[in-house]
Formats: sequence, C-alpha cells, structure tokens
Amino acid sequence: MSIIVQGVSKRFGTFQALDRVSLEVKAGSLMALLGPSGSGKTTLLRIIAGLEVADQGTVVHLGEDITSYSARERKVGFVFQHYALFRHMTIADNIGYGLRVRGVSKEERKVRVDELLHLIRLEGLGPRYPSQLSGGQRQRVALARALAARPSVLLLDEPFGALDAKVRQELRQWLRKLHEEINVTSVFVTHDQEEAFEVADHVVVMNHGKIEQSGTPAEVFEHPANAFVMDFLGNVNVFQGRIEGGKALMPGLEVAYPDYKGPDSQDAAVYVRPHELWIERHKNGAASVEARVVHVNPTGSRAKVELRTTDTDTMMMAELTAERFAELGLKSGDTVHVSARKVRVFVPDYSI
Amino acid sequence: MQIDVEAVPSRARVPASLRRSQEDPAWVRYGLTAIALGVVLLLIVVPVLNVFVEAFADGVGTYFRNLVADDDTLHAIGLTLTVVPIAVVANVVFGIAAAWAVSRFNFRGRALLTALIDLPFSVSPVVAGLMFVLIFGLQGYFGAFLRRDGFSIMPYVVALVLAGTWLVGSLLVKPRRGAPPLGLWRHPWLLSVGGSAAVFTVAVALQQYFEVWPQNQSLKIIFAVPGLVLATAFVTFPFVARELIPVMDAIGPDEELAAVSLGASGWQMFWHVTLPNVKWGLVYGVILCNARAMGEFGAVYVVSGHIAGQTDTMPLRIEKLFQEYNLPGSFAVASLLTLVAILTLILKTRLEKLVPAPPRPGAPNSAETAT
Repeated sequence: MSIIVQGVSKRFGTFQALDRVSLEVKAGSLMALLGPSGSGKTTLLRIIAGLEVADQGTVVHLGEDITSYSARERKVGFVFQHYALFRHMTIADNIGYGLRVRGVSKEERKVRVDELLHLIRLEGLGPRYPSQLSGGQRQRVALARALAARPSVLLLDEPFGALDAKVRQELRQWLRKLHEEINVTSVFVTHDQEEAFEVADHVVVMNHGKIEQSGTPAEVFEHPANAFVMDFLGNVNVFQGRIEGGKALMPGLEVAYPDYKGPDSQDAAVYVRPHELWIERHKNGAASVEARVVHVNPTGSRAKVELRTTDTDTMMMAELTAERFAELGLKSGDTVHVSARKVRVFVPDYSI
Repeated sequence: MQIDVEAVPSRARVPASLRRSQEDPAWVRYGLTAIALGVVLLLIVVPVLNVFVEAFADGVGTYFRNLVADDDTLHAIGLTLTVVPIAVVANVVFGIAAAWAVSRFNFRGRALLTALIDLPFSVSPVVAGLMFVLIFGLQGYFGAFLRRDGFSIMPYVVALVLAGTWLVGSLLVKPRRGAPPLGLWRHPWLLSVGGSAAVFTVAVALQQYFEVWPQNQSLKIIFAVPGLVLATAFVTFPFVARELIPVMDAIGPDEELAAVSLGASGWQMFWHVTLPNVKWGLVYGVILCNARAMGEFGAVYVVSGHIAGQTDTMPLRIEKLFQEYNLPGSFAVASLLTLVAILTLILKTRLEKLVPAPPRPGAPNSAETAT
C-alpha cells in the first residue's frame, strides 16, 4: 500500500467536511475521489498532501506515519485546479522550482526540465511565461512541475475542471497514458463520474464527508452500494414501488429481483437506468407499462426518449441504440409499451 | 436603469441618428465636462503652478539661496529625510505582516484587525499627535518615568526585538525531515520558546553589564526625533497594508501552497513567490506612504514642539517661514514637497497598470488577468 488514510476527520466551524474516513491507495494505481461539491473529496486530498491538517486520524505513506509532517516534507506532487503556476517565472523555471529549492545544480535541473518538457510535449516553450500558454498547456506544465522532484505520490485536485470539454477529453486520455508510462501512484479529485470511470482504475465515491463506495469502475457502476451511488453515477429513473416475493413491483411493472435478501414485502425505491428500459410498439405478453413519447433526441450514439406513463403520469428517460430507435421509428406523441430489463432496489434505511 | 453592456450594439455600427437617441444631450455632455475641467483647473492646477511661480519670483539664485543658505531650512530637510525612511520601513514590515495575516489566515478578531488598520485614516492627525503626547509627554502616563531613567527600558526593547527574531527564525527555518535531527533540533519547542527566552536574558544582561545605555537620564520622545517617527508612522500606518491586502486576496494562496508542496521553506516561499507577486503593489504602497509621510503636518506639529533647527520637519518649516512673512523662502521649501507630489503622481499612474487587479466576476481565471 502506498498511502493509508485511517479514521481522518475534519471540521470547518460547524461543517463536518470529513467524518472518520479510511482509505488505502495501492502503489502504482490511479485512483479517483468522486463526489458532489461539499462531499469532502478535496479536503481529503489536501490532508494527504499536508496542505490541510486533519482534526483526527493518521496518514501513512510507504509505512511511515506522515500525519505530523508539513507539506514540504511529504515529497508529494500536488496539481491545483487552477494550475497555480508561478506567474512571474518562465515555464522552465516553474518546472524546475521543486529541484531549485532542494538545491539541485543548474545543469542537472536543465536536464530534468528538458526531459519533462518532452514528456508533456511542450518542447521549446521553456522560456515562455504561463500567461502565454493555453489552459490545457498550463495544466500539463503544472503536472510536470509536480513530477519534477520525482514524488512517490501525485495528487490532482479537479485537474480538468477549468478546461473546456474538448481539451478535457484529450487531457484525460493523455493522463491515462502518462500514468501507464511513469506509473506513479496517483489520486485525483473529480465531480464528473464519466471522467472518473474513464481515467481511474479505482473509484472512491464520497458524499457528506464519508466514503459511500470504493471499487473498480465496473464494480461501482454495475453494483452500486446504495441509492446515492446509483443516483450519482449517471441518469436514473426512480420509481416508488415494493419488493415482494423476489420481485420488484412498480406501478404496472414487475421485474424478478432474486438478489434481494432483506425482509419480504417492503416499500422500496426502484432504480432503472435509461438504457435498461426496453420499448416495444405493441404489448407482447411481458409485464409492461403503457406510456406516451413526450420528446425524442436522436443525436449522439444513443437516442434519448422522454416518456410519460399513461396511468400514473410518471416521467421516464429511456436510452436506445441508434438501430433500435430506427427500427421503432419513434416520434413524440406515439404510444408505446415499456418494460425494464434490469432494476436495482434500495430499501430506505430506517436506522437514520 | 441598468443596461446590459453586451446587448448594446457597438458604437461604430450604429447610424448617427440612432446614436444621438442613446446619448445624453450635447449641453449635458459639454456642460459636465466644462465644470469638471474648471474645478480641476481652479482648485488644483493653478495653485500647484502658483507654488513654483512664487518660489521663483525673485529669480533662480534667490530660490537656491532660500533653500541652502538657511541652516534651519537645511536641518528641516535633513530631519524629514531621516524621519520618513524610518517610518516607511517600519510600515513596510508592519504592512506585509498585517496583509499576510488578514489575507492568508482565518482567525478570531480578523475583522477587528482589518478595521483597526484603517483607524489612522479616520483619526484626525492632531488627535493622533495628542495621543502620543498623552502617553509619552511630560504629563503623560510614562512621562515621569521616561524623564527619570528613560533609557533603562532600552535593554529590554532591544532584547525583545532580538528574542522575537529568534522565535520567528526558529519557526521558519526547520531541519529537513529525512536526516535525523541533531542536538537541539530534536526539541523544536525548547529551541524556539526556550531559545528566545535565553536570547532575551542574555541580551538584557549583556547590555546592562556593559552599560550600553546612559543611566538616570531623560529619554525624550515627545519634542524629539522618536516622537516625530512615531507620529509619522502612525499616520501612514494603513498605506502599505491597505495596498497589499487586495493584491494578496486577488492572487490567492494557491501559488504559495504550490511552492510549499514543492518543498520550499517559509522564507523561500516568501522570497520566490509572494514578494515577486506583490512587488508592484508593495512599491505602490511605499510611494503613497512616503508621499503622505513627507507631507504630514498635523500629528507632527503636536509632537514636535516646533523647535527650529531641532524638531522642524519640512512642512513645519514651510508654515514657520510663512508666518514670518518669508514668502519666497516658504514657497521654495513648498516647491520641493510639490515636486515630490508630482513625482509620486507620475509613478503612481505608471504603477497602476502593473498592480494585479482583483479578479473580475466571471473571469475564467485570476491568473490570466496579470502577468
């Protein structure tokens, strides 16, 4: 284990930013801390970096308790959301700063800076100033600066948050590739689930200062631990239903749900992802609910269909493959029959 | 009525007939401009020019004789050039410390400190001067003591400064983790607190043993140079801090945190990152502080006692010459102060472009607004 966080709590005035959080980061892994704003993910990252002091709990790095170490003693690379490049220094001086304060000679510094400029594909931009670079370039410089002194851990705070969509997409793939190349243990913070799934090989979902779930992207997406994770990871339709006799019952629909182990016959919230709804023109025997098409959006790789059930007037979102959409030839106003291929049921937690 | 700037089409593309409908009538535009110009001319330009006209009224030779030949005038210029730098340096140190505290830490009483920094702006300088007279003057709280054996506090003052330096230094300079800490470094609290106590004791003992300061003598603060420095420093207190706080707020702590996470010590962070970022704001503050300190009259008037050739600064000298009906002499000294003012104005205008502005709402990144 590269980093072990144990029972860390942090309070800002009356706001509990972190509540006894424990976390382990495997050496060489690329982990995402995912959560809505105010979930404590950035605070956790800053505590690992030593930029914030935990009220309680310990941070262990490579077997050494570094809780009382200051940021400069932790040998951790930190990348800020808004780059935080030194505006009065050139790009080369920025990247070389970590080496300069460690007393590395000018010649050695130059070698390492050139190496990093090559790594971030900004050769020749060394003499420029941060203000002359684009956002994406600045973020890469910030990354190179954090890597210069060869930290054993790289921490990134919303690294793509301030960039526009296209650059963000490019940088994500680039970061993934870079991580494979240099293989430094990395933790990054994001509120964008797509980004977390695309870049990280381990995702930690946080909410209200607590960890809701931790696992590989596939685990977290396919088996969300609770309603919050389900809801946070992409669009979802929620129905108020019941769970009874191994089946999830919604108004007009029922789906086999053998996974459920709790007490039988319970009120429950039933979650269905848009792509797990199945649309038929005509009733074909399977349990289905009649709905009217309110709006269709056929752009993109999947067509999005907005539906309203005839009986209960509930809104639903469905996603279809382009082929299926063409096959059905849906347009708004059509009446269709909707069934669910897969559902997840979360019984409200009464212990709260 | 508020008009959305974006929604108003650009001026060049609007036909003249339409443009007229969006503008104020001509008489309003020209009338307001004329009033503004007239007031500036009458109240600012003419008086300033008049200072030089009066100063040179009897020719250039007399002008220089007025400045150089009068010993009291020369002394006044020298005194101002002594008092002002001390006050400015003191306020730079204080200003940086205060700006740092206010913009980088969140502590109890932060709002109170911010308000107190501004206090010298709102207190009448005469009252400020009186405050010092009440504290340090002959009838003041410390007056009797200062007169009896005033210098006996000096060893403690010096020792306190040294001990403070030790405390701050020991907190800023830390051994690198990694190499096992040696000797006293193993006990950081003993080193900083115990060390500064030791420094204090040794410094006091040494000064008393060697009798550095005269005994049983009156330490004059009021009607002497220390009083002038105190009064000037008090009145110009807010300039540097007031200039630095918005600049440091605009820049934000991220760059400093980045430096620390890259392994910089507190000093390195300050010299490499903070100071270069705020340097133009600092220079701006120093210039304003200097201009105000040079021209300070009210507070200095009260504490100086007006002794010609001893405690007269330039503004006091101008007033005295004026009272003595020595108009050319008075205006000659005044022309020097006016020159400083004009120079200040030019520098100030130049610098305004270099000082990072607070981030505009909606600006994508404050780092882009300044280089």
